[in-house]
Amino acid sequence: MNARQFLSGAFLLASLVLTAGCERFPGYPHPGSEAMRPDEVTDFSRLYSQNCSACHGADGQYGPAIALANPEYQAIVDDNTLRSVIANGEQGTLMPAFAQSAGGMLTDAQIDALVKGLRQRWARSGYLQGADVPPYKTDKQGDAAHGQQVFQAYCSRCHVTGTQPLNTGGKTKTSSITDGSYLALISDQSLRAIIIAGRPDLGHPDWRNAQPGHAMSDQEVTDLVAWMASQRQQTPGQPYPAQDETGRGKKL
Amino acid sequence: MSRLKEVYNWFERRLQLEGPIKEAALHPVPRNTASWWYVFGSAAMTLLMLQIATGILLAIIYVPSGGEAWKTLDQLNHQLYLGWFLRAMHGWGSNFMVAVVLIHMAQVFMFGAYKFPRELTWILGVFLLLMTLGMAFTGQVLRFDQDAYWGLGIGASIVSRVPLIGGPLVHLLLGGPIIAGATLSRFFALHVFVIPGLMLLFAGLHVWMVLKLGINEWPMPGRVVRRETYIQEYNEMAHKDGVPFVPDALWKDLFFSAGILVAVAVCALLFGPYGPGGQPDPTIIQTAPKPDFFFLWLFAVLSYLPPEMETPFVLIAPAIGILVLLALPFVAGVGEKSWHRRPVAVLVLITVAVSWGIFTHLGVHTPWSPVMDAWSGDPLPQKLVHSETALERQGAVVFQAKQCRNCHSVGGLGGQRGPALDDVATRLTEDQLIRQVLQGGGNMPAYGKNLSPPEVNALVRFLETLKPANRPAAVDASQEAQAQLGK
Ligand code: HEC
Ligand code: HEC
Ligand code: HEC
Repeated sequence: MNARQFLSGAFLLASLVLTAGCERFPGYPHPGSEAMRPDEVTDFSRLYSQNCSACHGADGQYGPAIALANPEYQAIVDDNTLRSVIANGEQGTLMPAFAQSAGGMLTDAQIDALVKGLRQRWARSGYLQGADVPPYKTDKQGDAAHGQQVFQAYCSRCHVTGTQPLNTGGKTKTSSITDGSYLALISDQSLRAIIIAGRPDLGHPDWRNAQPGHAMSDQEVTDLVAWMASQRQQTPGQPYPAQDETGRGKKL
Repeated sequence: MSRLKEVYNWFERRLQLEGPIKEAALHPVPRNTASWWYVFGSAAMTLLMLQIATGILLAIIYVPSGGEAWKTLDQLNHQLYLGWFLRAMHGWGSNFMVAVVLIHMAQVFMFGAYKFPRELTWILGVFLLLMTLGMAFTGQVLRFDQDAYWGLGIGASIVSRVPLIGGPLVHLLLGGPIIAGATLSRFFALHVFVIPGLMLLFAGLHVWMVLKLGINEWPMPGRVVRRETYIQEYNEMAHKDGVPFVPDALWKDLFFSAGILVAVAVCALLFGPYGPGGQPDPTIIQTAPKPDFFFLWLFAVLSYLPPEMETPFVLIAPAIGILVLLALPFVAGVGEKSWHRRPVAVLVLITVAVSWGIFTHLGVHTPWSPVMDAWSGDPLPQKLVHSETALERQGAVVFQAKQCRNCHSVGGLGGQRGPALDDVATRLTEDQLIRQVLQGGGNMPAYGKNLSPPEVNALVRFLETLKPANRPAAVDASQEAQAQLGK
């Protein structure tokens, strides 16, 4: 080995070590890579993927529960609602409570981080401004009888009513949105949110596009939800008493 | 030059090391021992030296106190130039050392090298193995993170089961009734003074005997070891058809050791240091602590043992294992060395290696323990959600909310406590699904009381969608009969 070979070898080694110091190697532990206390994590992506993505979808869509990555939904809902739903869950539904005060695992700071992150990631500022959007919440009484007509007008081309028919091999399935078991598991508020904001990930239209060119009014949405609520059954999910042919169940 | 020579001579007259060193270096060894199979012992020695060197550097920074340990490791990782690399070298060096020591031992076993007159070399080797494992365990404790904390907890609970003296032993091990600062000081002393001191002593004697007794010759079927004649036969072989140990045999050792060091460095650069994982705080319950790689097999074995077998197993099995290893050269100290004539030895080695591999694999995947945040963390496959009806989709929410996912995977995500459910609809009919959900069984809890009728209904409708599109759903006899009638 002559001197030049030796020197170039030494140079190579030295530069290797230097770059090692320069944090370019995959093994370099990045700050924060040590596991923090789980109650100190305030990174939105991590909080979301550990606590929410199973039901609301990996990117806030294509989950079995309502899509949070829907800018229309983000435009109608306010921070307080988000915070209280995440902290306390929704009574009578499968949305769990996450706040430590309500038996969950998240601190208030983490819930704030979630709310902030939901907004930063999925809300678009100025979205729906000027549009005539039915409000997220309403105190108005709905007229169920009129609601049924609303269903006929806006929804019946895509949905059926009554007990969800069994899928008969391969044919495209049509959702019944008044199946007794379905209605027993979902809240009126959630139905309202889905009707107004739609589920763009699944192909269910928002309030403007259920009947293209004819947006639903606040009253229509309210009546529709009232009608759907009136279809709730006393003993849902049980074979007796059966829902009759028209799909109308026994009223609560 | 002559000046140098004078200095050398001055020392040599007093030390008189030249003779023994030359003799050791140039002593003849049988030609066929200069084989690649014989390099693991020296590689283990090299790794020991690496661990000592990197360990000393780490000890300069590390503070063995409950409050500081985690912080100093964090500091090494992030604030000190190349500190992370140092930690990574020490951590990977430890893994390599355990592996190389085991391979060395397996090779010695296969080649019958523990037989007369090398019994004591083997026995020291067994102790060196135990000490290597001891170093690996105490080192993991010094990391003082969650894994360390729970690892210690398990260690302590194993010790506590020793009859009569269990309690005092735990006290001695932990330096008090609980895992605290005193525990860490104890393990620091063990890891830095006690075990390495003993290890150096034992390793020195071990190498001394290798030099004195000669390297084991390549085993040949039919060349039988007899106490009366072996030494003479060996010396003849070494002198007639021998090569000097340096350089003929040594260069392969050097080459391999260098390769191992490079491999350690590459692993360190690619995979980085171990942890530290979460802080050792028993109030953190969202944790799934796991021992370091080498102890995973034990972790798996303990998980599978029925509870009443645990105490006998953890107390008696290791003792038996060590006794068997120690007794080996006395029970089988003479006779055939070649593996061609030792089928039992070959089978034993294969069995041990395969079981170790299987248990380690299980330890990595821990299929016995539910994944505690799968219910809220693991998304369902997009396509599945997309193609469902509103009711089925709500059933999927029930599936997640009731934490079925913690035990059952879908789309490759989720726990493995129960079977994957991706094609459960091809196996079970609606009735069977309802029964399984309501009554559980076979290690699945019964959900009957925890699900409302609409929840069961939605859930089962969802489960019925879990099948590949091209495969028929399960049908029972009455459905089949009905289908026949319809035709
Ligand atoms: C076990 C499934 C599940 C998990 C996990 C879950 N959710 Fe929900 N979430 C639901 C369901 C179901 C609803 C609809 C409840 C209803 O019917 O009103 C819902 C509703 C919501 C709503 C209100 C939607 C509306 O009607 O306006 C918000 C906001 C929300 N979830 C946020 C979160 C966040 C943030 C997380 C993670 C911290 C989370 N959810 C985790 C199931 C879940
Ligand atoms: C263009 C067709 C279309 C129209 C019109 C439509 N939907 Fe949908 N809707 C869908 C699709 C597609 C889905 C998702 C797949 C499914 O559930 O069948 C869906 C899903 C839903 C869901 C379940 C959402 C969930 O999160 O599980 C509800 C509730 C719903 N629609 C209500 C309505 C109501 C009320 C109307 C009338 C205002 C309506 N839809 C009009 C296509 C439509
Ligand atoms: C504690 C872990 C655990 C939980 C939680 C759990 N299961 Fe299971 N499940 C199992 C085990 C284990 C088996 C295998 C039972 C057997 O071998 O008989 C099983 C079997 C099943 C089967 C039959 C699978 C087959 O191929 O035969 C279905 C279906 C099922 N579970 C559904 C569910 C549903 C739905 C939930 C939630 C309501 C759930 N499991 C919750 C552990 C669990």
